[in-house]
Amino acid sequence: MSVLPLAALSVKSPAGPAWEFLVLFLVVLIGPPLLERARLPGIVGLLIGGYLIGPNGLGAIGAGNTTIPELGQVGLLYLMFVAGVELDLALLRVHRRAVLSFGAITFTIPMALGAIVGISMSWSAAASLLLGSLLASHTLLTYPAVRGAGLASHPAVATAVGATVITDTASLVVLAAVSGTQVSGGSPSSIALQILVGLVVLAVFSLVLLPRLVRFAFRHLGTDRIVRYVSAVTSLLAAATVAQVMGIEGIVGAFFAGIGLNRLVPNEGPLMERIDFFGSAVFVPVFLVSVGMLLKPSVMVEAETLKLAGLFILASCGGKLLAVLASKRSLRMNRPEAILVLGLTMPQAAATLAATIVGYDIGLFDQSVVNAVLVLILISIVGATLLVQHTKSAVSTPVRRQDALGKRVLVALQDTAQAPIGFAIGAKVAAPDSGVVRALLYSFRTTAASMEQRLSELHRDGFALGIDVDPALLVHTSLAEGVIDAAAAEQPSLVLVGQRSAAAHPMLGGPGEAVAAATSVPVAILLGDAKRIEEVVLVRRDHAPETNGDQVAAVAAELASRVGGRGVTVRQADLSRSLSDVVPGQLWIAPADSGQVNAAFDPPAGAAMLLVLQPN
Amino acid sequence: MRKLLVLRPRRGFGRGAEQVSGRWFPWSALPWLPLTAVLAAFLIAGCGDRSSSPAAGTFTPKVPGVLTVATALIPTTGFWEGTPEHVTGGFEYELARDFARRFGLRSVHVEIEPFQRIVSGHLNGADMALALITPTDERKQHLDFSDAYLDAAPTVVTRTGTEIPDLATAQQLHWGALRGSTFVGIIRHLIAPDAPISIFPHDAQIEAALESGRIDAAVFDMPYAVAIARTSGGRLRATAQLPVDESIAAALPKGSGNVQAANSAIHALSADGTIDTLLRRWVGTSATDAESSIPLLRTEL
Repeated sequence: MSVLPLAALSVKSPAGPAWEFLVLFLVVLIGPPLLERARLPGIVGLLIGGYLIGPNGLGAIGAGNTTIPELGQVGLLYLMFVAGVELDLALLRVHRRAVLSFGAITFTIPMALGAIVGISMSWSAAASLLLGSLLASHTLLTYPAVRGAGLASHPAVATAVGATVITDTASLVVLAAVSGTQVSGGSPSSIALQILVGLVVLAVFSLVLLPRLVRFAFRHLGTDRIVRYVSAVTSLLAAATVAQVMGIEGIVGAFFAGIGLNRLVPNEGPLMERIDFFGSAVFVPVFLVSVGMLLKPSVMVEAETLKLAGLFILASCGGKLLAVLASKRSLRMNRPEAILVLGLTMPQAAATLAATIVGYDIGLFDQSVVNAVLVLILISIVGATLLVQHTKSAVSTPVRRQDALGKRVLVALQDTAQAPIGFAIGAKVAAPDSGVVRALLYSFRTTAASMEQRLSELHRDGFALGIDVDPALLVHTSLAEGVIDAAAAEQPSLVLVGQRSAAAHPMLGGPGEAVAAATSVPVAILLGDAKRIEEVVLVRRDHAPETNGDQVAAVAAELASRVGGRGVTVRQADLSRSLSDVVPGQLWIAPADSGQVNAAFDPPAGAAMLLVLQPN
Repeated sequence: MRKLLVLRPRRGFGRGAEQVSGRWFPWSALPWLPLTAVLAAFLIAGCGDRSSSPAAGTFTPKVPGVLTVATALIPTTGFWEGTPEHVTGGFEYELARDFARRFGLRSVHVEIEPFQRIVSGHLNGADMALALITPTDERKQHLDFSDAYLDAAPTVVTRTGTEIPDLATAQQLHWGALRGSTFVGIIRHLIAPDAPISIFPHDAQIEAALESGRIDAAVFDMPYAVAIARTSGGRLRATAQLPVDESIAAALPKGSGNVQAANSAIHALSADGTIDTLLRRWVGTSATDAESSIPLLRTEL
């Protein structure tokens, strides 16, 4: 028997990119669940894990490593981008007064307190202001828990969420001002001009140019989901680069890019899911781990650091508490609502950390300030989590308001030839509400297996319009019942039922009307397969023959306005007598009720008709 | 009695409106507060000076008002110009002056100390040493280091005309290095030359040995290699860089309380472009893109 030459085997100590990424992802994998078991936020696990593998801990990732800090920087940009893209601008519009006043208070009080803390410690004006601004921002870390409790549309919650836009934007602008004055040379006026011009350029690029470029990319390049995702990532990097070129921090650019793409990336859409997925799985955890690598427990437990942390907590959490107390009466919040708002606005994370790291990188803050801010972040997150956990059940769930018309548009088709016009209408209706368009293709059980190709066609038709309709097969014995079941599951805000031929299914008395009879949301029947809409004609009835007729007319008018913009032609007509006037290139939108249209009418080739029905 | 507060009929949360008004407080002006704060930030931050504040760490010099800096040799091409009695400039000297300005100190005093002694922790009473020092684990036992102010891959300098296309050619050359520097070990392990390495006490002697042909190649920090090639009148050339990540940092006495302030100063001078400007001025414009323009010598056969 031969002896294995074990002595000749050599084992090297692990090194290189594979080893570094292994320990990084082990922290991402293990850190959060471990801490969550101890009822602490998962983010703490990432910070502690970062410390453990970093140069101040076990040294698995050395001080000279630049890959992970650079990936962390991308994570930071990503985090700010997601914050911008996730904002519910519609909710912001509804509660704008409360948002503006509360946002102003919850920014100004901690900002003032933070600046006072800095000045009292003889810090420079720039360092004091930056401290104030980083304490004035907040991150909606506890929002998922609040949303999970069904409180997302509660006015108090909506106000806190909306206020985040004000606090974070103002904080980032202060950051831009402070870092600009520190990094650029020249007189204060020239620096201010530089930053103001930079902000204008950035705003124009992010809010005007970028959405157009991305829409173009979605239509002409975005024929698959990878390209759409990469377009979004490219956008955030482009805006960050523009910001840096103009002398503004990249995170401001990333945040602006998020707001610019807000409407193009619906919160409930597949692209947002993908952005969230990669953010949650890779970019944001890597950023937090890279921050953990900065932790130095020996510095954190120094008296100076703890003193700083105490003052920061007092200024930030105290300031947020004062802001809630100051607004409680004017916004008519009861005690649990006020505590919930405090729980939402107290956590310090993304913007705070971003501003602190920038302050450190430009030499305004030293490591003890960074560590004190990390203590603040830990305390504020843990405190806010506990506040939300204990109060969310005491806040009454708001009565669910009707969703905005374009929030979730369900387009149910039998014939893929109607997809271009159906999706075009859906996209235009959904756009103002940052909504999503979802396509269902009806099939019998026996033909379902052969529908793969047609689903791909629907995908392509959606991408050609710049939207991801995420089509699914609706297999049911009846189109109407299938759509009713799907509507019950997906809670759409508008249902479009495609009936290509009135000869096969009369406008009324067909599946569309059956769906309308069984759902509580507006339903519209789509007839015809026009490829392009050159003119939108809104048909107004001379009379409102049935109950709620005004409501149907209002929905029809809203649809016409969204699809046709300002160029809607209005006709006062009796629909049944005017149908012969429909010409190719036109989309007629009409409110309808039973008995009004009883003829089997098909629009001419190249024209389409949308008949809005009264829901049940 | 005067009514102090008048609230409009309110339909608070859940009832659709948030109209608030009061005579005693200008609620309608609230939304302007963040804007005011931002404008104030522009004005106040813009008017403030850019010297260090306690937020960036406190620097306490050994001699009040004076930053005492140790270095190994004056002149050191591009880094310390002039004579020990009268320093006229150089990257590290100007960096020291910028440090002093930032720390609010009125002057810089220079102490000369052999490199070997500096890296052994003997700074001769100086607050810090600026002498093209690479932080290593061994040196960290005797010194504290700031964050790096220059990246400095070890770079091979040869006489113009001597090419080093591959490792085999490099091994046939006669190499030289500074005593006590990290380059001795780097040459020994990465190049493993056939002939023994010549050790010199000063960089100037290595330059002279190169020019006279006593040695064929020597290794220096990249910025210094670029500087001596630039000032050699075309006789010397930065031929190749070695695949080792090295950087140059300020060395401070072990246990110094000034490390954080020094780090903040380096971050600030790096962020505002001062370090790049000094590098271009004293070492040459080619120093800023040397990393991409000097070829890499592959050291694995």
